[in-house]
Amino acid sequence: MSNPNSSPRGISLDVYAVTLALILALLVRLNLIPLIKW
Amino acid sequence: MATQASVAPPAQLLARRAFAHIPGLLLLAVVGFAGKLIEQSIAAYTKAHHTTFPNIEYVLWAIVIGLVIANTIGIPKIFEPGVATYEFWLKTGIVLLGSRFLLGDVLHLGGISLLLVAIAITLSLTFMHLLGRAFKLKPKLTSLLAIGSSICGVSAIIAAKPSIDADDEDASYAIAAILALGAISLFTFPLIGHSLHLSDKAYGLWTGLAVDNTAEATAAGALYSDAAGKVAVLAKTTRNALIGFIVLGYALYWSSRGEAHSVGNKAIFLWKKFPKFVLGFLLISLLATLGFFTKPQLTSLANLSRWAFLLTFAGVGLRTSLRELGKQGWKPFAVGAIGEVFIALITLGLVYGADFYLHL
Repeated sequence: MSNPNSSPRGISLDVYAVTLALILALLVRLNLIPLIKW
Repeated sequence: MATQASVAPPAQLLARRAFAHIPGLLLLAVVGFAGKLIEQSIAAYTKAHHTTFPNIEYVLWAIVIGLVIANTIGIPKIFEPGVATYEFWLKTGIVLLGSRFLLGDVLHLGGISLLLVAIAITLSLTFMHLLGRAFKLKPKLTSLLAIGSSICGVSAIIAAKPSIDADDEDASYAIAAILALGAISLFTFPLIGHSLHLSDKAYGLWTGLAVDNTAEATAAGALYSDAAGKVAVLAKTTRNALIGFIVLGYALYWSSRGEAHSVGNKAIFLWKKFPKFVLGFLLISLLATLGFFTKPQLTSLANLSRWAFLLTFAGVGLRTSLRELGKQGWKPFAVGAIGEVFIALITLGLVYGADFYLHL
């Protein structure tokens, strides 16, 4: 029942997630990755 | 040379850590993709044969496949680090989902959610404490269950545990109860929503307000419809944003009784407990509102969010151990379950009221 948030590194899990999302958003904005399909 | 030698070990360590996540990540992708494939195959089959079959979303397939694997053959150790990243993908997906909201919608629905959350939290915290007393649970376990079921599940319990100096045992009981109830709500909420003919917005709001864990709330919303999933995430994110205030309240209460350490600077405490992904969600929503992205780019971001959620839903199933859930005592589970039913009813009433008076 451990949770990633419980580790000392897990405190910054949110920051990592936001960073990745912003990088992806920037790559999409600059057309550096092809259109993502579902 | 000396510099290179001192830099190399952390770099190697980082690489080793990254590699350790690959098998589990592949498992998440395979399970999630299998769920998507099953949904598409059934849709194609029924279309080709002109038959009708209820559309079961990939979300449910991914969770069920994960549950079956985790509770039959089990998850070998090599997959564990990667599977544990499902919460990371959830948060990344939520931030990217911000692209599907105009800031005005966020403020409108978020404002309604905030009002309903405040009412629901007050009622549910009171009710949970009365229940805990009736079942003679330890006061701190009751506090953890109340925080977990009224705010945001596992993250809230983890945030509160050190602040109120609760036992590890109490925290794992409360987490197990919240996870068990989250798993049950995955299957019950969509059924209830359909039987009450709730609109996507009303159902999404209800799920976001009543289901405890963010991953389960997102999944329960997506199981109903794409639009309901979107609203569920927004309502749940609003609830998550309040985590710091509730934990601060409990920390002050327990420290005033001399049973927890003192809080110190309250603003720093609130910032530490504030879920930062909420800010990312708002930022992406603001950029989308300001026209920073073109329409095809917005579609790409929405699809990236869906892919991130696909990994999350696979992880929800893979991380739910029915054996573990059965090990806990019946009392915390009973208190949690009765509390959940109460919260579900209260929030359903609130959503009906909001739909009538505030026109969702």
